[in-house]
Amino acid sequence: MNTERYSRNLILPGWGQETQERLADSTALVVGAGGLGSPVLYYLAAAGVGRIGIVEGDRVDQSNLQRQVLYTTGDIGHPKGQAALERLGALNPEIDIRLYPYRLGFGNAAETIADYDIILDCTDNLATRRLLHHTCRKTGKPWVHGAISEYYGHVTTFLPNRGPCWSCLYEDGDSREPETTGTFGPVAGLIGTIQAGEAVKYLTGLGELLVGRLLIWDALSARFDEMTFPKRPTCPHC
Amino acid sequence: MIRISIRLFATLQRYLRPPAPGEGTALEVPEGTTVDGLLRTLGVPLEQVKIVMVNGIHAEMEYVLREADRVGVFPPVAGG
Repeated sequence: MNTERYSRNLILPGWGQETQERLADSTALVVGAGGLGSPVLYYLAAAGVGRIGIVEGDRVDQSNLQRQVLYTTGDIGHPKGQAALERLGALNPEIDIRLYPYRLGFGNAAETIADYDIILDCTDNLATRRLLHHTCRKTGKPWVHGAISEYYGHVTTFLPNRGPCWSCLYEDGDSREPETTGTFGPVAGLIGTIQAGEAVKYLTGLGELLVGRLLIWDALSARFDEMTFPKRPTCPHC
Repeated sequence: MIRISIRLFATLQRYLRPPAPGEGTALEVPEGTTVDGLLRTLGVPLEQVKIVMVNGIHAEMEYVLREADRVGVFPPVAGG
């Protein structure tokens, strides 16, 4: 391991050589390499997570570039996953980055997440989040949920067998998808960055996690809020 | 009447005029008003409501508001 690369990690309080090695031995799967996935992937790769999986089947569109900071104008029309691989490989060639160039679905979800320690929800729809909830619950995987709309974003962490689940927060009987909204780019950056922090803390065992807590950022009023959500008594999964 | 404050988040913000400042919009409502009743009064489409919190804790639409309650209402948020 290149200790100079991680020297500013290694002098952090509570972060020793064994912490960095634990991170190098750990794995994270990022589902969606868009607005949230961009900062998530940059920070996980930079921190030294040993193996990172990217689930992304789309191509780069010009309208992505206002917030999806992994990509450049030259990537327009090219597969996002390939561009992400190149960018992250250039950032940190010491880690293993794997691409899953498809959308997560019922047929591939369990197999895709099986080899990963933690899952990061950077998707752009409720159906995939519902799928992540069910799959992570069945397989006992922790996952970090982030979602954004206009100037608003929120983030929380779900752990197996501890704290509430996605269904406690959101209920999962309603299959309607909200309309596509505008996105204030820095909301994607901030919420994704917090997601990456949650994953690195989980993988290294540092600090507290956002379990049972929804952290909210409203960019227009420049306020953070936090909502506590316990297990819902009527939750069918808890 | 009791006094409460309310914040509508994300795409629901547009249903509160004038826009809620950071601390929420102060309102007076009759005793016995539920979250559901409050949102109907404000003209918030209930089908766009996904999560309700009162004083920072998850609450149901049937929750009966009390003096000084802080209400937060969220739509489904799916972007990423």
